[in-house]
Amino acid sequence: MADVTAKSDVQKEGEARVDAFRQDLGPFVVAAEKTRMPMVFADEEPGHPIIFANDAFLALTGYEREEVLAKSFQSLLAEGVDAETMPIVDAAFRGECENDPEVHYKRKDGSEFWAKMFVSPVCEEDGTVVQQFVSFVDQTKHQQDNAQCKMLIDELNHRVKNTLATVQSIVTQALRHPAEPAAIRQAIESRLMALSQSHDLLTSGNWEGAGLHDLVDTALHPFKVVAGHAERFTIVGDNVHLSPRTTLSLAIAFHELATNAVKYGAFSNDAGTIRIDWTVVEEESGNRVLIHWLERDGPKVTQPKGKGFGSWVLERGIAHELGGKVTLEYLTDGVACTIDIPISAKLAE
Amino acid sequence: MLVLMNVEMVLEDLGCTAISAAGSVAEGLSLLAQQSFDAAILDVNLGEQKSYPVADKLTERGIRFVFSTGNGNHGDRSDLDDRPMLKKPYLTEDLITVFEQLIADMPMPTAA
Repeated sequence: MADVTAKSDVQKEGEARVDAFRQDLGPFVVAAEKTRMPMVFADEEPGHPIIFANDAFLALTGYEREEVLAKSFQSLLAEGVDAETMPIVDAAFRGECENDPEVHYKRKDGSEFWAKMFVSPVCEEDGTVVQQFVSFVDQTKHQQDNAQCKMLIDELNHRVKNTLATVQSIVTQALRHPAEPAAIRQAIESRLMALSQSHDLLTSGNWEGAGLHDLVDTALHPFKVVAGHAERFTIVGDNVHLSPRTTLSLAIAFHELATNAVKYGAFSNDAGTIRIDWTVVEEESGNRVLIHWLERDGPKVTQPKGKGFGSWVLERGIAHELGGKVTLEYLTDGVACTIDIPISAKLAE
Repeated sequence: MLVLMNVEMVLEDLGCTAISAAGSVAEGLSLLAQQSFDAAILDVNLGEQKSYPVADKLTERGIRFVFSTGNGNHGDRSDLDDRPMLKKPYLTEDLITVFEQLIADMPMPTAA
């Protein structure tokens, strides 16, 4: 019994020392192992052999622990970074780097990440550097957000400039022929409104395009509601998906057709009607949509004297911008317009 | 589309005849194959496409051209940076000046 008690004292003492050690260092070791911040320790020897790498570092770089332990930190890094990065990293190890280096690194599997690298020397009491402690902050998401942001700003700038050029054209064309200031203002404003509405339509679809039915509804909305013509429009066709470019061009085309109908055509009296329908034509060279605009029961149609903005948009604009074919006929019974343009296949949701 | 309209009208006012327009690289190349041109204005961005193949064909054919863009740079085609560039929106006067220069720089037709 005595022996057992004596042995137990020794054991107790030993266990207490281990406990003390654990209490002193244990949580830190566990923390270093388990923290989500990637960390390595490297010896202060040529090449800086790695003596410790935590789980987060292995997860970040895609290496196994045995692949990195005892391996030179510099050569491990050099496998995945650009040549110009290495001198900066070397300078950081010498404590000569003013800003913490940001490395763009290719993992073992070729995927890439961005990380900010913090190098901190571990010194003895006399100041001799014995190890380097290196930690990382993954900047990949930050870099992706920045790149996305820059792309959006560039794209926005591009659209703004194009839109301004379009506005310039609308104003210039409206001033091309002598007219009353009020008529010029009205022509400019209604086209700007049409442009604005087609932008709204595209924005609601994340600028990936719009459905043809939605586009026709949007383009004709001012004419339907303001003039109370809703029952005199017949619109028949699927919500065929159109690219942003097609959407913008067709919106102007429908606006011009409707404006003409209100001024001179089927909507300039109390009885006229307009039927708009379309079908998708599948061809080997790609799908097309064939749109018919047909006015009936309006005043007797006479051939217009000159070619204005609207007929340019329809007869030349659509053809050039969209590679389409347009026929615009001033038939005695009513204006008839056929628009035949290429489209991508998918239907709008 | 309406920007093109403006360009066409300005060129017509300048006395240009036979103005053709293309909305895609394929159409542009096809036009170049069919007709001869004195000068061209080339939008950098044609929807999803860039117009560089047309620029290269114009260069090959010795046809002078000016770029027009809402962006202001050529990205990966910096070899084209020395070409004249109209940044949208641009003044009608600038369009006229550029075209007058393009036409003035044209090589004289060789006597038959």
